[in-house]
Order: sequence, then C-alpha cells, then structure tokens
Amino acid sequence: MSVSDGESPVTAPAGGQAHERKAPRAAVAPLTLIRHALTTREGSIIVITAALTVYFSLSLSVFFTTANFENLLPYFAPYAILAAGEVFLMINGEIDLSIGGCYLFAPLMFYEFHNGGIPLIPCTILALIVCMGIGVFNGFVTAVLGVNSFITTLGTLFTLEGLTLIVSHAEQLEMPGAQVVSNATGNHITSFASAFGAGTYSELFWALGIVLVLQVALTRTRWGLHTIAVGSNRIAAAEAGVKVRTVLIRNFVVCSTLAGFVGILEAVRSNSITPDPGAANSVLLDAIAAAVIGGTLLAGGSGTVVGAMIGALFLGVLQDGLAIKGVNADYLDFYLGVAILVAMLINRYVGRARRRSGLG
Amino acid sequence: MIVAPVSADDDVLRVEHIAKSFGPVTALRDVSLHLKKGEVLGLLGDNGAGKSTLIKTICGFQKQDSGQMWLKGQPYEPKSVEQARTLGVDVVYQDLALIDELSVYQNMFLCREERRSRLPFLDRRRMKREARAALNEIGIHLPRLDVPVARLSGGQRQSIAVARGVYSEADILLLDEPLAAMGAKEGAMILELIARLKAEGELSMIMILHNYVHVLESCDRVNMIVDGVIALDKPTAETSLEELTEIVVDEYRRARLAAQAQEAADAAAEASAPAAE
Repeated sequence: MSVSDGESPVTAPAGGQAHERKAPRAAVAPLTLIRHALTTREGSIIVITAALTVYFSLSLSVFFTTANFENLLPYFAPYAILAAGEVFLMINGEIDLSIGGCYLFAPLMFYEFHNGGIPLIPCTILALIVCMGIGVFNGFVTAVLGVNSFITTLGTLFTLEGLTLIVSHAEQLEMPGAQVVSNATGNHITSFASAFGAGTYSELFWALGIVLVLQVALTRTRWGLHTIAVGSNRIAAAEAGVKVRTVLIRNFVVCSTLAGFVGILEAVRSNSITPDPGAANSVLLDAIAAAVIGGTLLAGGSGTVVGAMIGALFLGVLQDGLAIKGVNADYLDFYLGVAILVAMLINRYVGRARRRSGLG
Repeated sequence: MIVAPVSADDDVLRVEHIAKSFGPVTALRDVSLHLKKGEVLGLLGDNGAGKSTLIKTICGFQKQDSGQMWLKGQPYEPKSVEQARTLGVDVVYQDLALIDELSVYQNMFLCREERRSRLPFLDRRRMKREARAALNEIGIHLPRLDVPVARLSGGQRQSIAVARGVYSEADILLLDEPLAAMGAKEGAMILELIARLKAEGELSMIMILHNYVHVLESCDRVNMIVDGVIALDKPTAETSLEELTEIVVDEYRRARLAAQAQEAADAAAEASAPAAE
C-alpha cells in the first residue's frame, strides 16, 4: 500500500524527509503524520499497541525491562506465526479453524516418528508433511467439493483433537529433543531445542522471519496478488485466468503447516506434549483475533501479515501487562474481550476514514 | 486425422454447431459462426440469448457440450482461459470483471504479471510503466495507477478492462459489451480505438453490443443470436437499423403469442378441473 504518495499536500507529506525540509509546514507535520499512520491499514493497531505499551511502562516499573520482554514472547511469537497463515485464508474469504488441531497434532506426530527411530530434524519435516496433507484435505473439501471452510475446518479441528487424545491416551508426554542435557560444561539444551523453540529468542526469530517472508509474498508476488484477487472477486479472478482452487488449496496448506510448526515450537519450549483440546481452541481463537485486530477482514479481499503480527503483539502486551498488574485471573478474559471489541471498533472507524481519504 | 471444415482461407476462427446447457436451461442450441482475419464481428441478441455463453466458450472459460471450434484451421479446444490466451484468444469482460481491491496496473496485468528475471518478485515499476503507456495510447488519463479500481468511475473501469485485452498480444479479441457503463465521451474513445485496430488489420474481434447504431458503425458484419441459434448473418453494409429492429420486435411478438397461448391453455385446464371433481 502506498503511504508516501498521497493526493493533497495537507494530508500527504511526500515522504518524511522531503517534508522536513519545508520549514513552514513543520508545525502540521506531527498531526499529519499521526493522521497518516492512523489511515494506513496497520496504522491504527500500531498506535493502539504503542499506547498500551506506554501505559503499562509508566504504571509498572517492571514492564519495560528485558526480563519482561522475554516473558512476553511466548504470548506473542506463536500467535504472530499462526495469524500470518490465517491472514492468507482470511484474505481469500475463508477461515481455517483446524490450525488448533494441527497445533495439537503435529508435536504428537513428531513424538511418534521419533519413537520409530527417526532423527529429530526429519521428524520435524515428516510432522510438517502430515500437516500439509491436512491442508490439502481442507483445501480440497472447501475449494473442490464446495463445503464452507468454516464447516470443513471445524470438522478437521475436532477430528485432529480427537485423534490426539486417542493416540496419546490423553496423557502428557515428554517432547523428544527438548530435554536439558548435562555434561562437563554444565546444563544446557540441545542445539535442536534452542533453534526450535526453547532458545529465548528462537520463536521470535521464527516469527519475524515468517512474517517478513509472507508479507513480501502477499504484496510482491503473483501468489499474493492472486490471493487478493480470489478473495475480492472470485468469479472475476477465475475469468481472468487465476487458478482459484490452486490458490485456495495452497493457502490452506500454508496455514496448517505453520500451525503444525508452531505446535512443535511450543512443545519444545515447554518440553512437553499436552493433549489439551481446550488450550488448543484458545490458541486458535487468539490467532484469529490477532489477525482480525491487525486489520484483516473476515469478508476477504484485504489484509496484512504485518498487521496480524502487531495484533498478536497487542494481545501479548495486554495479557502480560494485566498479569503483572495483578489483575484477578477471572477478569483477564473479560478485559481481553473488551479490548478486542474496542480495537475492532477503532479499526472500523479508521478503515472508513482511510477509504474517504483516498489512501490505499 | 481430423479434417478442417471447408472454409475461406482467411477464417481465423470457426465455431461449428456449438451447444451448451446449464442444467435444464439451454443457453446455446446450435451456433455456428466464423471470423475472418482483421474482421470485426458484432454479436447481437436479447438478454439471455446466449451471447455471453458463446464468448465464455470461445475464450476457454467453459467447455461446450457438443460442437467443435477451429482456430486458424486447427482444432481448437481450450482447457482454460490461460491456454486460450497463449493460443492468441483473449477476452474483455464487462467492467464487473475487475478486482476491486487491486490497483489499476495490477488489474491490467492479472495473470500475465511481469516478474523480475528468475525471481518470484513482481516488477511493479515495469508493469506501471507499460500500463501507463497502454492507457495513454487509448487516450485514458488516470492520475494514479496504484489506487484500487473500486475508486474509479464505471467508464474508467471499463476502459481499463478494454486496455487489458487490447494490449495482450492477442490475435482474436472477444469483447463483452465494451461500452457498458460508459459515458458518451468514453464510449466514443473506445469505438475510436476499435476503429484504429480494425484499420491496422491484425486483430480480429467479436464484440457483443446492445446499441445497433454502434454495431452498424464499427462492425464489418453482424450476427444475431435468437434463442440459442444464429438468426441472422449479414455484412453491416447489407443490413439496416430497421431490419435488426424488426427481428427483435418479431421475436417479442412471437414470445407474447406463445405466452398468451400458454395462458389460454392454463385457463382452459383450470376451467375443466372443477368439473372433474
């Protein structure tokens, strides 16, 4: 989306630097910049998240510290990855609920493959291939057989959660490769574990990398263009020659593969496979909330991966801040819900303002 | 070995006995037409006569139930819009066929995006430049090409759709109501463009039009579809506004008579029903 070249000189400084040189207008600069930031697709959620961070930083001395940032990461990074995949499907005008199922099922597959004597990295790959298969199934049933994706993936969600319970006998398992190893140099985690979730910044790096790749894919490749086209006007896209089914299936595959990957990261991080469908469902809903808060429309046609990441950050900051504040755990979901509603209402207002202002 | 039907050497496209139904609805009963190189064929017909179905069959969007098509003497069985395009057949749909959320240049290049060599990344600058050149040539001046087309007027959208087809290196261009949603000025611009392309003589066109004056003005020949068959095939020089109008009026007359007959039959059936009780 083009932020830099606006139409009227008042609302649109042509690039920050060019504007600074024009001294007489310096007074309006901060205001127009804020207005500008608010009218980009990600702008509103960036401002809201920043405001929330400032609030918590001022009211809680421990909030703006490295230690707390590290605490916050697990509330943020996994959701950023899950939401990134979900954004592609939501732009298509579809939804994938089965990410909760893949999230739960992939680490268990990993465990079973490892029990079969396969090394850790191939186990990861095999588990992700299983997830790809789930994505192909979701995509086929939705795009080819024409079942609504909400229904398709609701079915896959329950099926996978049920399978996880059956295979694991509903018992918690230790995640292979995630144990702390003791040797001459002391206790440390394996390099596999530190790369795949257990390292302090491992999930953050994965999240930033995946978000970057997918945002570029969305805005600068054929795949992204066709994804938007399918979501905006499916018939017109097909008439222009876009392979609608391929686009849909591919996005389902990306979504479930990322969900499986996050499941493995989280299992390594926590050193356990916990077959808890309730927790998986809440992960799934948080990921969708992050995408929606970030400015992706459920109706399809428009969305942003970076926005979804900021949406995930917003949820992370909110949960972490409320927890430090000592808010009664019973109130947490309530505040979360209200915050989501408020953020959405602001988004909606800003979206309308954006369309009026003529910015992309 | 399939033998091409006897035809003039300069036929670039022949459509033979095409039929197409959608469930119980028969859109095309038995349509045959041909198109010479450099010719502009006007396709007329009432709403629902099957014009758009015919266009969608020729452009590879859907497959006919029966009948054959021949492209430059070769059997022509496009499996997709993209395949038809590589064979040189392209289509301009009505303005609805643009993607609202995509920008002007993205719409113009949808499905034939320019990429930077070897990399999957789109060459946006080049696409914008070429889109700008193509639009300038038609005489359409948009201030910006990176705004979503949802913001443009109906006429502007339509001209983008036409520009998209014209600059696709096609040999045969199918235009489904290229003047829909256009003001007189924009429409004149498109007709002028079509006249220019006709003068160049490289591109052959089939055009669906509603306005008979436009047909007589810009087409070499006219075909009229009535009820899924070609009811008239004449050079525009040999037909007239009156003749074209008469066919349509006649069709309405027959339809009304048929409806009245049906009504009378229904009434008769109703009248006899209570007696039987």
